[in-house]
Amino acid sequence: MKAGVRNLVTIFIAMLLTVLLPVLPVQAARPELQIEIRDHLFYPSVVKVPANTKIKLVVINRDPTPEEFESYELNREKVIMGGQKAIIFIGPLAPGVYPFFGEFNPKTAQGKVIAE
Amino acid sequence: MKSIRIFLLIALLSTITLVNFIAALHGYRASMAEAERLFDRQVIGTALLLAAIPVNERAPLVVKENDQLAFQVWSRDGKLLMRSDNAPTDPIGDASDGFAESNFSGFRWRVYSHAADDGRSIRVAERVDLRFRLADEVVLQSVVPILLGLPVAGLLIWLVIGRGLASLRQLTGELRRKRAEDLTPLALASPPEELLPLVDSTNALLERLQASFDRERRFSADAAHELRTPIAAIQVHADNLANSLEHSGAEAPDSLWQLQQSIERMAHLVEQMLNLFRMTPEHYPARFESIDLHRMARDVVAKLYPAFARREQEIELRGQAAFIQGDRFALVLLLQNLLNNACKYTPEGGRITVAVNQREKCVELEVCDSGPGIPADARERVFERFYRVGGDRHESRVPGCGLGLSIVHHIAELHRARITLGTSPLGNAQLPGLMVTVCLPLPATDVPGRNAKVRLETNSEKNQDESRRA
Amino acid sequence: MLLTSVILVLREVLEAALLLSILLAMSQYTGLAARWILMALAGGILGSIAYGASIGTVSEMFEGMGQELLNAAMQFVIYGLLLVIGMLLIWNRDGKQQYLKLLQWCMALAVALATLREGSEVYVYMIAFRHQIDSLQSVMLGALIGAGIGFSIGALFYYLLVGLARKRRLVVALVLLTLVAAGLCLQATQLLEQADWLPAGPPLWDSSALLPENSLVGQLCYALLGYEASPTLLAVSAYLGGLMLMALLLWATWMKTPSESGREVSNEFA
Repeated sequence: MKAGVRNLVTIFIAMLLTVLLPVLPVQAARPELQIEIRDHLFYPSVVKVPANTKIKLVVINRDPTPEEFESYELNREKVIMGGQKAIIFIGPLAPGVYPFFGEFNPKTAQGKVIAE
Repeated sequence: MKSIRIFLLIALLSTITLVNFIAALHGYRASMAEAERLFDRQVIGTALLLAAIPVNERAPLVVKENDQLAFQVWSRDGKLLMRSDNAPTDPIGDASDGFAESNFSGFRWRVYSHAADDGRSIRVAERVDLRFRLADEVVLQSVVPILLGLPVAGLLIWLVIGRGLASLRQLTGELRRKRAEDLTPLALASPPEELLPLVDSTNALLERLQASFDRERRFSADAAHELRTPIAAIQVHADNLANSLEHSGAEAPDSLWQLQQSIERMAHLVEQMLNLFRMTPEHYPARFESIDLHRMARDVVAKLYPAFARREQEIELRGQAAFIQGDRFALVLLLQNLLNNACKYTPEGGRITVAVNQREKCVELEVCDSGPGIPADARERVFERFYRVGGDRHESRVPGCGLGLSIVHHIAELHRARITLGTSPLGNAQLPGLMVTVCLPLPATDVPGRNAKVRLETNSEKNQDESRRA
Repeated sequence: MLLTSVILVLREVLEAALLLSILLAMSQYTGLAARWILMALAGGILGSIAYGASIGTVSEMFEGMGQELLNAAMQFVIYGLLLVIGMLLIWNRDGKQQYLKLLQWCMALAVALATLREGSEVYVYMIAFRHQIDSLQSVMLGALIGAGIGFSIGALFYYLLVGLARKRRLVVALVLLTLVAAGLCLQATQLLEQADWLPAGPPLWDSSALLPENSLVGQLCYALLGYEASPTLLAVSAYLGGLMLMALLLWATWMKTPSESGREVSNEFA
């Protein structure tokens, strides 16, 4: 039953998206960085990235509970379910410090991106 | 906007929710900040205490600590002198003095770095999640009542609005209850400022309406009264003419006989008009007394008996003595009108019954005939002035002016009685007959007044084509 | 946890509630029965549960970009619906009662989609705390406060709109719908940037010190005007583009409606 619903949803979404897919941009190789979430903490909690470059941020949620990667400074927001991996592109950033946090556990899940 | 009450409830509740919740949030935030400061002071106190403890510099001392707190004491040259068992051997926090947050041992900590006078660096860390939860639990208790209070506020607002709109509801009710002919001013006990203009202008309108009604009514009554004398004179003159013609031996022409008939009808009409205006509940100075309706019916039947006898009709009075509070003159008029109608419309040789019965809540007067009856769809209208079933040209060709039942209605109103029209048990397929039932309330339960209310009930049974004059 | 809940729930509820109150006021304006609202909300809530439950699957689609792409697609669809609603409202401004069924369905779909998108996040948030009894009370209270503030603003906003004079009401609603729609374009663009489907530049400005996005006023501006504290050039262009396109189309419709050609336009559209 659940799988059926999932398939239906998948098909529906795929149909929706095909409308939006006239030009699939070629994704150039981006510098990649990995962040893990464990016990509602980011590892590492401080990420240094080159300034003025688009970065591929891979966030892996090792917790069983969902988390939402959120940053007002980076204008990013993405739900990551328990045990899932999410890819978030950030930047290009001017040099500076950009805090991010897990919206579901904002007290402990805190980190920052430092663009240099 | 469908309902003022719902609008006010939602608008007020929304405003209260908005203001209260935002206030609660501010309160929460301020209390949390205060709690944080309190925790920070404790951490600083611990750091100062640690700074005061002399430590053996050779072997690092590991102290057992609870989960919430961790600390390290570093020597001037960067050697770990003392630490809690939950602190790592690497330096925690920033080297700079003051508070910072960092992750270690699987938790996030708020770390206070303190440089002691002797050059030692003391780091005290407190777990962010634990101290936050502790503060949260305490502060939350002050937020809960605000939320719980909301449904109470909603209920109170609902009731208060209902109370506030009571005078509006009262006004609506007053207007709805008003009968078409009741033009007395609205009596609203101390209307609120907002409704005062409405009540005043409505009353002014009613007053103007009443004045114009009065003028019309007085005019008709005066006209009828003024016509009485000349009609009586004409009647006398016509009679004299007939007499003198008879004396002179000449045969009276047919037209003279018709003239006399017409004069008689006119006199009847004027008399009925006067009766109608006299019986208007607003004007009739009723004098209520205890009356035996059965006895009164017997007297009226006896008085009208010659008319029934002339038409070879059989009239029967049933029932027993029943006392009501009523106006003698008005009730006699009522009986006369009902019986006159029955006599007029029942064909020659027909049957008429009059019954007076004591019921549980009223005295019931029932007049049945074996005439053509009144079609169900006309029953509402027969009480209107000058209304006659089928108009002026109807089969029965019975003379009438269309005021009889209007007078009956007025008198019933005067006595708070209920009139019901139906088909008669004396009728048959061709002539269903008419049954008029008048329910006069018993004296104990009711004091008749001028604001008495008549309910008109018509039994819609058979739809008849036979016409009948009212 | 309370503040987190408040901010999270408020942001989602406010967006949906404001759109709902504008459309509800317009529904009242055209004399439509408000029954569609129940249908739309029920559909939206069921949809958000379905979406929230399958968000893991969605995320893995399109090389992990399913979430961004689906959300962006929904934003664009809502944009289109708002555009159609605006035009239908203009056609109906003289009480012509044309295409009311279509209007009703567009409104229902727009509200349902908005509820679905916002509701799914709340749903995921709630299931995250399902088993954490110690913070559950705080989370629930926060959610209640957030929802309370959001719906209260929505209700007051509705009465504000309904209280306006008839002609002004339509104009105000159209302006608001256009701003909301433009905000949707901006959000969709940001999502596509996040998915690396659109090139991203540095932020054009940073007004977070002036008006932080996570403040109440910031949230209100975000929901109503599509406020973003540090948008990129592309996002701003999308905002302005969406704004101009809708404004232009509505203006053209407005200009054409009273004349005879209004009918032709509507036929073309249908």
